[in-house]
Amino acid sequence: MKKRLYLELENCIGCRSCLAACTQCGGHEERNRNYVYDVNPLVNRQTMPLMCLHCENPACARSCPAQAIQIHETGAVLSALVEKCIGCQNCTIACPYGIPKFDQEQNIMYKCDLCIDRTKDGIPPMCASVCPSNTLQWLTDEEIDNKKKQFNLDNGKWVTSMPYLEGETNVKVNLPGILQGITKLF
Amino acid sequence: MSDKNNKIPFNEDNYTHNIERNNERKLDRRGFMKTLVGAAGVFAVSSLPWGAVAAKELMGLGEKEYPHKKITDVSKLPIGDAVEFKFPGDHDDAILIRLSDNKYVAYQNACTHLRCPVFWVKEQGEMICPCHHGKFDVETGAPTAGPPRRPLPEIQVKVENGAVYAVRVKRYEA
Repeated sequence: MKKRLYLELENCIGCRSCLAACTQCGGHEERNRNYVYDVNPLVNRQTMPLMCLHCENPACARSCPAQAIQIHETGAVLSALVEKCIGCQNCTIACPYGIPKFDQEQNIMYKCDLCIDRTKDGIPPMCASVCPSNTLQWLTDEEIDNKKKQFNLDNGKWVTSMPYLEGETNVKVNLPGILQGITKLF
Repeated sequence: MSDKNNKIPFNEDNYTHNIERNNERKLDRRGFMKTLVGAAGVFAVSSLPWGAVAAKELMGLGEKEYPHKKITDVSKLPIGDAVEFKFPGDHDDAILIRLSDNKYVAYQNACTHLRCPVFWVKEQGEMICPCHHGKFDVETGAPTAGPPRRPLPEIQVKVENGAVYAVRVKRYEA
């Protein structure tokens, strides 16, 4: 059963468990690969996590001159292959979300690979498995559709990456209702 | 928003650009270089036995003494005559020449040009290869005329109890 990472941004309490969990994922070498942003710094305390959205047509991979960024069969856009990455940082420039991080010492790009060792076997990625507020969830497409039905949308628009952000992504994001001008029931 | 160009403009799955992990080429540029270096390594390793053979020769183990082999009795070989024998193997033809009372010389008699059998001409005091009229000095085995450029390999002999024995083959010194 194919599952997706689903981000319900309004739930985020800014605990940064996802960052801590990311460092503990096998192969991540104790570095986290995602971010927690302040949405309106100095105005309110709303935060939101952002990890790689795993685009269908990833700008990072397409801009890589060495094809070091590969797309897994599950749709996950993998971190740079160590033996191929030439450290040109094209991917960090190309990504519209600013996801790829760069290791200056090893001259290698690293980014969220959706904990591919786990997710390829149906285990949720580390961030989703620890999130205490269900901001990050690991759901089937059917469950995401059920989520959609729970929302009272006065403009009739469901905005999990609707119709898409910069492009079609494998990770689905539910933008906060405040930004959409709609109200959530829960 | 939906008028965004979300399409890949051309097929990017080719030999020089492929980002699908499942379509990774078995022999891409990197794989080709690996194969090249690997093959060179295989050749290098497989040539090591020859190095061992060479080392063995250089360390003097090639100076091996074969089992002494009786060639002929002294009484059966008049001065100036020659007798053919096999040494050290059964297919290594050699020739023994008695030059004086106590002086015997022996050579492997395959001509160093094209391995024709070299024979002893008593009247001219020379060893002659009939194929291309090569001539060898009987004292040293060195070529004196004709195509051969290298001396005949010398066989050391010794006389014991009225018989002549072949002892060892002298190494060829280039």
